[in-house]
Amino acid sequence: MVSKIIITVLSVSGITGFLALILVIAEKIFADYGVCKVNINGEEDIEVDGGKSLLFALKEKKIFIPSACGGRGTCGYCKVRVIDGAGPLLPTEEPMLSKDEMKNNMRLACQVKVKKDIQIQIPEELFNIKEYKTNLALLKDLTYDIKLLHLELIEPKEINFKAGQYVQLETKPYGDIKETVMRAYSICSPSYEKNYIELMIRRVPDGICTTWVHDFLKEGEVLNIIGPMGEFYLREGESDIYLIAGGSGMAPIVSILYHILHEKIERNVLFFFGARTTKDLFYLDVMEYFEQNIPNFKFIPALSAATNKDKWEGEKGRITDVINKYIKDRDNSQAQGYLCGSPGMVKACINVLNSNNITNDRIFYDPFA
Amino acid sequence: MKETPLEKSLYRNFLPGILTKDGFIGEDKRHIHDIIEEDIRELERLGISEVELAKKLQELIDFGKKNLEEDVRYEHFIINVRWSRGMLPCPFGEPPLHYKIYAKITNTKLDKTIVVTQLGIHLMEKHVFFYGKGSKYRLEPVFLYDFLFR
Repeated sequence: MVSKIIITVLSVSGITGFLALILVIAEKIFADYGVCKVNINGEEDIEVDGGKSLLFALKEKKIFIPSACGGRGTCGYCKVRVIDGAGPLLPTEEPMLSKDEMKNNMRLACQVKVKKDIQIQIPEELFNIKEYKTNLALLKDLTYDIKLLHLELIEPKEINFKAGQYVQLETKPYGDIKETVMRAYSICSPSYEKNYIELMIRRVPDGICTTWVHDFLKEGEVLNIIGPMGEFYLREGESDIYLIAGGSGMAPIVSILYHILHEKIERNVLFFFGARTTKDLFYLDVMEYFEQNIPNFKFIPALSAATNKDKWEGEKGRITDVINKYIKDRDNSQAQGYLCGSPGMVKACINVLNSNNITNDRIFYDPFA
Repeated sequence: MKETPLEKSLYRNFLPGILTKDGFIGEDKRHIHDIIEEDIRELERLGISEVELAKKLQELIDFGKKNLEEDVRYEHFIINVRWSRGMLPCPFGEPPLHYKIYAKITNTKLDKTIVVTQLGIHLMEKHVFFYGKGSKYRLEPVFLYDFLFR
């Protein structure tokens, strides 16, 4: 009886194992797409191993398509135009694409598998995006919930970016978090400094990356970044410039101010910075330096919840009211607005700029804000 | 319970560290379908819909958004909304992306406080998902009903 049971179990196990082996072999044979060509912008052909997602196939060739979710199909940022070879639109892509985008053959690079030769179109500026290995040389508190990261570039040793652009920072596993994620942060250091970048990172409640930065990260760690990315940078012109930020939204503004100083730009510049109390203020010494060295620059911090304890003599109230007070009597017909902060603040401030004759084509902010 | 391949791939989204630090299911060992079904039965027993609960929460958050990061009084609630940069996707893979809005709401009559997010309201309204037990964002329907309407 026992021997019959053992024989039966062994037979079933053997058959199951055999079938599994056949499946593995079949996958190797039939799902081997070999080397496929990716034609980019009708010019360059690159060879990639078939079977991978377009996002990862391009990443292996050091072509980085912006993506905030690391290729999980959840952020919808990695849109590329596929002219030919992508196969039908997948159910995982449909929710992330508008009708116009579908009509224009836009696809999510993380969802499209390269199974044959494929032809794509991507913006030229993406070729400037690189992966950098960096050393976290300094990690310091700017406020109780904002940290400054000073990252020295190890390889490549130099970065070229426009003041106002951002990079993606790759986390490492920590605590119960087993996977890495990428998150976007604006660069706050001067764009003429090529061997390092600095980031300001504010703690987000239960944020995967910000918890890691604030509670686990240590100076001396080697960190990966990808960049530069983004369309948030100073536009040319002679008009007044209104810079508006709150919290860690100060980061790209600081970089833009270094640019204005370095390039000796003499336009009128007003920087409105919204905070709750004096505990939320930082970089006051840097702002003082800019006020002393940029001819037509004024820093206007405003506290929305100042108490007597703050002994605050500057502007008080909502940042929107303060902006309106300062710009309502100026000639804003050519003025430009640059905003960075929480989406709520950005939206409210755009309304104030609009109501003061600053149209949306002269208002700039990051889409991830 | 049978799952489509799409559902299987989406399940990962609910785990810690994929979309959010702590994930969406807490200590709950039940299948997501079972969590939802039990909460649907609870809502039926209470005679309230997930849409009504979500609508009231949205009303409170929208009021709090008028004065970000400040305590705002509305009816017998005190609301404090923080709106961070960035967006979060729905773990069920449904668009659109959601703002990182995080609100603390205190019912001054009950002296109880809850934490709710914009994504959480979407999950409640569109997927009848109130998070798994043990998650800090789990809102028991019976408790939430009392909290919002008593």
